Amino acid sequence: MSEIQENTTHFGFKTVEEDKKVELVAEVFHSVAAKYDVMNDVLSLGIHRIWKRFTIDCSGIRKGQKALDLAGGTGDLTAKFSRIVGKTGQVVLADINDSMLKVGRSKLRDLGLEGNIEYVQANAEELPFPDNYFDLVTIAFGLRNVTDKDKALASIYRVLKPGGRLLVLEFSKPIYKPVSKFYDFYSFNILPKLGKLIANDSESYQYLAESIRMHPNQETLKEMMNDVGFEGTEFFNLSAGIVALHRGYKY
Amino acid sequence: MSNVTPLDNLVCAFVETALNKLHQLDSSAKQKRKALDGTIIGVALKEIDKPLYFVISQQQIDILGQYEGQADCFIRLNFLALIDLQDNHQLTNLIKSGQLEVNGDIKVVQQFALLLTEMDIDWEDHLSNKVGDLVAHKLVYHIKQLNKQFCKQHNKAQKQLTEIITEELKLAPGPLEVAHFCDQVSDIEKQIQALEQKFLEVKL
Repeated sequence: MSEIQENTTHFGFKTVEEDKKVELVAEVFHSVAAKYDVMNDVLSLGIHRIWKRFTIDCSGIRKGQKALDLAGGTGDLTAKFSRIVGKTGQVVLADINDSMLKVGRSKLRDLGLEGNIEYVQANAEELPFPDNYFDLVTIAFGLRNVTDKDKALASIYRVLKPGGRLLVLEFSKPIYKPVSKFYDFYSFNILPKLGKLIANDSESYQYLAESIRMHPNQETLKEMMNDVGFEGTEFFNLSAGIVALHRGYKY
Repeated sequence: MSNVTPLDNLVCAFVETALNKLHQLDSSAKQKRKALDGTIIGVALKEIDKPLYFVISQQQIDILGQYEGQADCFIRLNFLALIDLQDNHQLTNLIKSGQLEVNGDIKVVQQFALLLTEMDIDWEDHLSNKVGDLVAHKLVYHIKQLNKQFCKQHNKAQKQLTEIITEELKLAPGPLEVAHFCDQVSDIEKQIQALEQKFLEVKL
């Protein structure tokens, strides 16, 4: 009689088998894909755009470089990278979920962006790219959903060129108690209701709120990055720590 | 450490959104952007010294608060020089007076200034979609009249100022005086040439 089941992990506040998590996450994102961008704007009051701009400014992205937008979903970062790296550069939009990838591809095509973007369905834990390939890897609001984060971080380290950097933009732990309290209230009481109203799906947004709380805090994530080999790792708290941007280099 | 703050990003967001919105209404914008496609231009106001990087592409303009590569062109200018940028002929004057510093191709700066300032927007057409033809026409007509009046007054004021400087205060020579002076210089040049000629003849 097993007391604690082996190979389990968290899915929000629930405990599930490790192999099942990928499917459950997939269901969430198939469900939210169509209204993803709208929901981002509504739930964050448009502030997610500032977080993403901050990420791009910290990325060091330049003309002619190769960038990987991992768990890039609907392609917000990819669009900007595409215009910055230009004709001589390349951007790969990778996501494990093909519904999100479809929405992203359609959106980017409508924006008139095409030449330098590649779309790849991939699992962050096992990236299908050669060693030392990218100048920049970004993963925005995606690491939280990965089953084995250490494996993903190691995989990212492998595909980065020496001199390249990783940027992780993710929900984190607020640094002030009152902000925490308001944030908890907002996440558990308002978010799922808005989800129901706009996307007709309150469960996915319940998962969102729960998965944020299960994600490692600022210092822990920094340690995890250092453990797989990143150096010069630092993090920037945004919106009082509700979101954090971690940046590490491969030397 | 990061050189940018989320507040800087907010500013970038405003400027970028406003500029692109205007460009959407401007029929000539796409062509102008095409000429600068793939160019990255850094602009810093001397007073603030926080640069903004404009990434020009066929689709739109992106504005970054930080760029670690080499910009194709970097401009440093005084805030007041922004107004003068509208007139391309002023560019060389601005550079001479030190109000504008350019690191890169000046042609890029000219095209960039045009991109930001010369907008061919059919306001009447866009407005009429919102408030109807008649109201749009009346509104645009009255605004154009006001603008005309303003320009007239501005020109009048400038003319008066010029006259005060040259005629009353005699701080600078008036046009006739300058012309007369130039004529005198030409006369002297001719006399010198005639002398040179005579000198050569004598030598021979």
